[in-house]
Amino acid sequence: MQASKARLFKEYHEVQREKTVDPDIQLVCDESNIFKWTAFIKGPSETPYEGGVFQLAFSVPEQYPLQPPQVRFLTKIFHPNVHFKTGEICLDILKNAWSPAWTLQSVCRAIIALMAHPEPDSPLNCDSGNLLRSGDVRGYQSMARMYTRLAAMPKKG
Amino acid sequence: MVSDSISAVPIPSAANTKNPGKKKRTNRSAKLKQYKIDARREQWLSQVSGAVKSKGCKDGVEDDIVRAPPPAVNHGKLSLEPLNTRREGEEDDGLVHHDSDSESPTNCPAGVLCGNDSGTNFTGSSSGGSSSSSSSSSGGCCSGNITEEEEEEEEGEDDDDGCLDDWEAMADALAADDKHENPCSDSPPVVLPREGSNLGSPNSKPESSRLVPWGSGSNRAWRADDAFRPQSLPNLSKQHSMPNPDRRCVGGVPWGRISTPSPCPICCEDLDLTDTNFLPCFCGFRLCLFCHKRILEEDGRCPGCRKPYECEPVETEASVHGGSLTLRLARSCSMIERS
Repeated sequence: MQASKARLFKEYHEVQREKTVDPDIQLVCDESNIFKWTAFIKGPSETPYEGGVFQLAFSVPEQYPLQPPQVRFLTKIFHPNVHFKTGEICLDILKNAWSPAWTLQSVCRAIIALMAHPEPDSPLNCDSGNLLRSGDVRGYQSMARMYTRLAAMPKKG
Repeated sequence: MVSDSISAVPIPSAANTKNPGKKKRTNRSAKLKQYKIDARREQWLSQVSGAVKSKGCKDGVEDDIVRAPPPAVNHGKLSLEPLNTRREGEEDDGLVHHDSDSESPTNCPAGVLCGNDSGTNFTGSSSGGSSSSSSSSSGGCCSGNITEEEEEEEEGEDDDDGCLDDWEAMADALAADDKHENPCSDSPPVVLPREGSNLGSPNSKPESSRLVPWGSGSNRAWRADDAFRPQSLPNLSKQHSMPNPDRRCVGGVPWGRISTPSPCPICCEDLDLTDTNFLPCFCGFRLCLFCHKRILEEDGRCPGCRKPYECEPVETEASVHGGSLTLRLARSCSMIERS
């Protein structure tokens, strides 16, 4: 409990200090609960998610960092490894490959990397996975880009 | 100066010896050491008084306060050359007394007792010759010391035990002056000791052995680098120079550099000395023992490389045998999972 709080406080200060270092990631801590975080990540360039801003919800367990934070997309995203309805993310580092040395910031980076390099063999979004597994990259990209525009881009008129 | 002192010495010594005797009684309980010196002095005096009486020196043996007059008289009668050295020593003793008196009142009895032989000679002669004799004080003291050492080696042992440090410091400090004085004082010790100067020596001996080093030591011997300097005395230069570099070099640097900039990456607590020396994984990932234990209880993998932690005994073998390492690791993992 105390260890996780101390760790999260340190991460908070790191985030405040390095706000400008990584412009693709904006980590915000809940004002009343340090175990609740929100992240805004920019869709990586040269991907169907480019131009979109995706909101992530972090729920940090008390055993953190020995246990990984629970992360899910609040923003709709069409991605083989993200559950389309719940936003659950299938990412090894959030499951068995988690390391206490990782931070919330590094988790965000890993998610950005996952967006750029989907893993269709362990899909949470079967439609998206099937498109990629069948080799229909174009279909996948168009679907993903559509949902990015629909959900992750500011609506201008 | 010497001639003045010589002429001045005998008179006041005879006249003023009674006062010191009274003072001595009042102050006898001042110091145990001083008491021993007094006892010894009385022994000497009893012996010498007998000798003096046999010699027929009447004026010296007068009554109770025997000690002071005899030496003075004996010196005056025996020989002039020894007298010069002796008088110098007495003068200097007088100077020393002034120093010690001004320093601490507890030394008063010693000063009074020692002053028996030459008594108020100090007040008279030292007032006039203090400035001049202060320069020669070391030399005079040396002559006294030399004669006494040569005279009474067996007797000086007790006293020397008490003031051994001072003696050595004195010897070091006055080594140069000894060489100057030796030619003068070589002959007198041989002549004086046997007869009269047994009286003079006990009187001057405690002075020179005990007081001179303190009096002159305050001027000379107790420097910051003096080995015999009492450690209880506050020494600013030492305190500032000695311990600080040690603390900075030995204690301060490693603790400051290692602990503060490297907190445990898991719990963000600063790594203490044990943690910094704790290297659980070959990948070099360091963490505190507390987090290490918690990780072992959960999945037992190194946070840095995600490889399972090896048991401590395996650690040494691991570098040698790669194959057996994996087997053992699997076993340890299974054990952890079962538990």
